[in-house]
Amino acid sequence: MFEKVLIANRGEIALRVIRSCRERGLRTVAVHSDIDADALHTRLADEAVCIGPADPSRSYLHIPAIIAAAEITRADAIHPGYGFLSENPEFAETCAQCGLEFIGPLPEQMRQWGDKVRARSLAKSLGLPIIEGSGLIEDLEDAVKKAEGLGYPVLLKASGGGGGRGMQILHSREELRAGFETARAESRAAFGSDALYFEKYLDRPRHIEFQVLGDKRGNVQVLGERECSIQRRHQKILEEAPSVALSEEQRGDMSATIRRAMGEVGYLSAGTLEFLLDDRGRLTFLEMNPRIQVEHPVTELVMGIDLVGEQIRIAEGEALRLPEHPLSPRGHAIECRINAEDPETFTPSPGVITELHMAGGTGVRVDSGVYGGGRVPPHYDPLVAKLIVHAPTRAEAIAKMRRALSETIIAGIRTNIPLHQRILAHPAFGEGRVSTRFLDEL
Amino acid sequence: MKLDLDQLRELIRLLDESGLTEIEVEHDDDRIRVRREPAPIVSAATAASLTPGAPGAGPLPAEAGTSEEAGTYVTSPFVGTFYRSPSPESDPFVEVGDVIRPGQVLCIVEAMKLMNEIEAEVEGTIAEVLVENGKPVEYGDRLFRIETA
Repeated sequence: MFEKVLIANRGEIALRVIRSCRERGLRTVAVHSDIDADALHTRLADEAVCIGPADPSRSYLHIPAIIAAAEITRADAIHPGYGFLSENPEFAETCAQCGLEFIGPLPEQMRQWGDKVRARSLAKSLGLPIIEGSGLIEDLEDAVKKAEGLGYPVLLKASGGGGGRGMQILHSREELRAGFETARAESRAAFGSDALYFEKYLDRPRHIEFQVLGDKRGNVQVLGERECSIQRRHQKILEEAPSVALSEEQRGDMSATIRRAMGEVGYLSAGTLEFLLDDRGRLTFLEMNPRIQVEHPVTELVMGIDLVGEQIRIAEGEALRLPEHPLSPRGHAIECRINAEDPETFTPSPGVITELHMAGGTGVRVDSGVYGGGRVPPHYDPLVAKLIVHAPTRAEAIAKMRRALSETIIAGIRTNIPLHQRILAHPAFGEGRVSTRFLDEL
Repeated sequence: MKLDLDQLRELIRLLDESGLTEIEVEHDDDRIRVRREPAPIVSAATAASLTPGAPGAGPLPAEAGTSEEAGTYVTSPFVGTFYRSPSPESDPFVEVGDVIRPGQVLCIVEAMKLMNEIEAEVEGTIAEVLVENGKPVEYGDRLFRIETA
């Protein structure tokens, strides 16, 4: 059993972890940069340690500072949240070397899934359907050959990328010749590697992902899927569970396949396997995110589980609680990511929140990291709150979300609430006819 | 140019982030000038060593050396444990009343078993030791008050 958990993150996810810790009777340590001295996570934790200046590379991403904070507060475990150091295998290793339990997957698992080409071949060897694609591209001539083999349009992707970063659509040999060297240089600059590969480009796919949990005894549980097709520039905006596009049979089959695959690799802690669903109803593996995800609450609501609490239990060595399999979702949940940004131009809108009123009522959950009078600094992620609703049916969940958004007041900064209202009011969304291109075509 | 509050805010933000003291924008016949008093930034200490392997390892100036009437504060550039002497048996690096020179070691902040020596960046006299030996310090905590000439 842990006594004290340090949370190596900020914002809503830091609060999310603090809450699960507190419910389990664990003491919490927040770390913060100097400009976050008054942030909500800093105020809500039992202890708070200032670890550096605003620049994340010298605070939230600075491993020695975080470990030192754990040492001086005598924490025994670290939860990394998402983003920042959550998928950094060196950080997980350093925690282990310093006698701190890292609440997440094993470092080797992060390496396996972090490299996209390696992840593809691993997924394939585990029996997961993968999207047609190439191996690593050697040079431009090799690229031309490989692209022609797949047929245009193709997606040129960085092996070190992920989360929608480091990829571009190419429609012809000319576009490939024009863009290849730039893509290579960009990949080198952004991910420290110029390893590129192709994937067949799907025109209007849906983004479907499956939640998994694995314990230290080799048990794996698959907790259904989320649909995250509403994206802007590959950044998810609105997520729901379950997806209207999957039949019970397909959900059950894929859950069984994933459960077997993750069991084979002994996957530890929470993770998400992302898939594309094409217009013929085929799911193909995209990537694995070895961490808790922003949109985890929709799964928590329909599955009746505390995923962060389970991560902590698993890290303490407890066995997964395994109800009958496959698990079925109960009702429908939707999450809206409320970002501090201009709803028209999407430019960030940091500043002081002069007035804050979050929605309430039955079936409404708010995961937020801000308060009235608090500041949204320009240095970090613009996510200020997640509004999540749960209702018996999708139509009722949509109505509930529209009601909840309408009573939410966030003044002083601009937010994307108007965009969410437009999405939810759209007839195609109401009918569940969505794809990753939905927002482009709105 | 119509005076746009958002643009003005943007200019102020730019001023803050850039560390500049003045920005002037001219457009046709309009002119906006945003100005502030230069912040009294006094770099008071340098860490002689930094955790090896950390990105950009190398000397790092102390962060928030602030100047007040009574003197200059040496602040901790790290989170860690504060030690006044190189080992439990030895004498403190400095005592109240000592005259110090730039480059002189004032204390150690230990993080991840590494002893980071904190050096003075200014000349002056140690007026106050603000942290007890062996106590944890956070980034930006005041360690010493120094009276400068």
